[in-house]
Amino acid sequence: MSQHAPSPETIFGRAIEIAAPAERSAFLDQTCGHDPELRRALEKLVMDHFRAGHFLEPPAAGLPSPLGGEGPGVRGDAATTAPAIQESPGTVIGPYKLLQQIGEGGMGVVWMAEQTQPVQRKVALKVIKPGMDSRQVIARFEAERQALAMMDHVNIARVFDGGTCGAGVPPASESDAGGTPAPQGRPYFVMELVHGVPITKYCDDNHLTPRERLELFVPVCQAIQHAHQKGIIHRDIKPSNVMVTLYDGKPVPKVIDFGVAKATEQKLTERTLFTQYGTMVGTLEYMSPEQAEMSALGVDTRSDIYSLGVLLYELLTGSTPLTHKRMKEAAYAEILRMIKEEEPPKPSTRLSDSGEALASISANRHTEPAKLTKLMRGELDWIVMKTLEKDRNRRYETANAFAADVQRYLADEPVQACPPSAAYQLRKFLREKTGTRTVVLLSNQSDRRRTKSENPRT
Amino acid sequence: MSQVTRILSAIEQGDPHAASQLLPLVYDELRKLAAQRLAQEKPGQTLQATALVHEAYLRLVDVDQVQRWDSRGHFFAAAAEAMRRILVDQARRKASSKRGGQHQRIDLPELAERSSESQVDLLALDEALQALEQQQPDKAEIVKLRFFAGCSLEETAQALGISRATAQRNWAYARAWLFGQLNKS
Repeated sequence: MSQHAPSPETIFGRAIEIAAPAERSAFLDQTCGHDPELRRALEKLVMDHFRAGHFLEPPAAGLPSPLGGEGPGVRGDAATTAPAIQESPGTVIGPYKLLQQIGEGGMGVVWMAEQTQPVQRKVALKVIKPGMDSRQVIARFEAERQALAMMDHVNIARVFDGGTCGAGVPPASESDAGGTPAPQGRPYFVMELVHGVPITKYCDDNHLTPRERLELFVPVCQAIQHAHQKGIIHRDIKPSNVMVTLYDGKPVPKVIDFGVAKATEQKLTERTLFTQYGTMVGTLEYMSPEQAEMSALGVDTRSDIYSLGVLLYELLTGSTPLTHKRMKEAAYAEILRMIKEEEPPKPSTRLSDSGEALASISANRHTEPAKLTKLMRGELDWIVMKTLEKDRNRRYETANAFAADVQRYLADEPVQACPPSAAYQLRKFLREKTGTRTVVLLSNQSDRRRTKSENPRT
Repeated sequence: MSQVTRILSAIEQGDPHAASQLLPLVYDELRKLAAQRLAQEKPGQTLQATALVHEAYLRLVDVDQVQRWDSRGHFFAAAAEAMRRILVDQARRKASSKRGGQHQRIDLPELAERSSESQVDLLALDEALQALEQQQPDKAEIVKLRFFAGCSLEETAQALGISRATAQRNWAYARAWLFGQLNKS
């Protein structure tokens, strides 16, 4: 073998940075076309990398993770020469002593820390990574902190404090060769440390009935509503960002890890960068169709409502509408298509299709299998499916409207959600079957419906 | 100077035998900590294995002295191995008590592995990790440090004396490899 041939690890490392599968394949042809076995092995490894999602990854449960991403640091524009992190357990920043790093993302690092003054307690401290302190990044970090500080809701992890750290940072000799030493004064902020478990796990571990789950779910909607009122879209609602903690023995859900204040300010590239390390794959189950569209213009508060719907679906049925298994097995482009186009089964249908799994699903909900399926049919089905509409105009307008309908259901009052009209269903059916757009014309004079098909490609 | 700090100092100065003394000390401390934690925690909350590792570090080690030593990595390596054994033992016990019928009283508290939506099959992971240790020990070490000791990429890179970029890449590689092993159909 030529001494200039790159190692498998090097090829792998470059291959996973190529977002487009076709390009990636060409790259593999280029670098190991001469060795079909190697190529096959690396191709599998690369596929497994993208499928692995959150497999083995930090952060630990119960603790906030930074900006949108979880797991190993994402390669951003600045990061190729990022110097070694300069904080370590025991470092003191103001009245906070760092204990353990619990999260790491594109911009920042989250530590569990101990506060000594004026009170003694454990907190979560988020600080910008060394090498990421460009003016622009600092501005965004500040914006996030301010956005979080504006929120004041019992079901949202609170921000306590913020500041700039500089003292106590070891000298540049600690850092990796080639990096410019980070200037003093990196901003940080301090948040409530939430000790708990993801809401789905809490409900299963404690065998909460559907009613109890709904009751636990309502405050989550209210928290998101509060954020929306402050102009903040979460953009990453999923079980690990909704932790349940106990206060006086009562379960309290807390939403953690909010994205940057306004969708219009976040660069699209951040999302696509996350893809390179497969971190997107884990939250794809919760992603709204407009997010999958990858258009920054398209994401508003109703995207959060969709994700809330996915969460409720999972709480009620034990699986997400687009199952994790299918996400794992499908190619990335296929996954995006599914999110944008595929109609999920109603919760009651999903339950009745669960086969053997239904026994454990119902056990976790302390309800008999037949009764559970029956419970979903009708209003609960409608409520959930309304939030999962591909067309966001058809979802609940606000998170509170969603919560209100759930509360009506709990109070045995009539809900606003209802099954879709016949014409609407026909349109959806035809779109799925023929793959073309169809205009259904309803004549005013008679009941006859005529259809006119158009090829969307012309 | 604590005992562990003394050992780390010896390693720092080149003593080739010192490293092997770490594991039993770290293992004991972790077991003790885990038992203590369980007594304090309210029901419904889970213990974090990696939080224990870092707490053990703060208790056993004179942090100010050790902060800049390369030998710090040895502590985490030992802690990772200790944590791995504790978790695997627990998993084995759970698996056999399920088969055994009568519910056994478990010595060690319920330790939560990293909580992700899909729980890792610890025994399968351990097996796959053993295979990785045989074939590519350097990569297995990265996995142990990150998964069982909760080390960041930087800490891992520093502990192993490699660049952050290499650590990141080899971590991705090892993770993909292990995922493939655990999901063979």
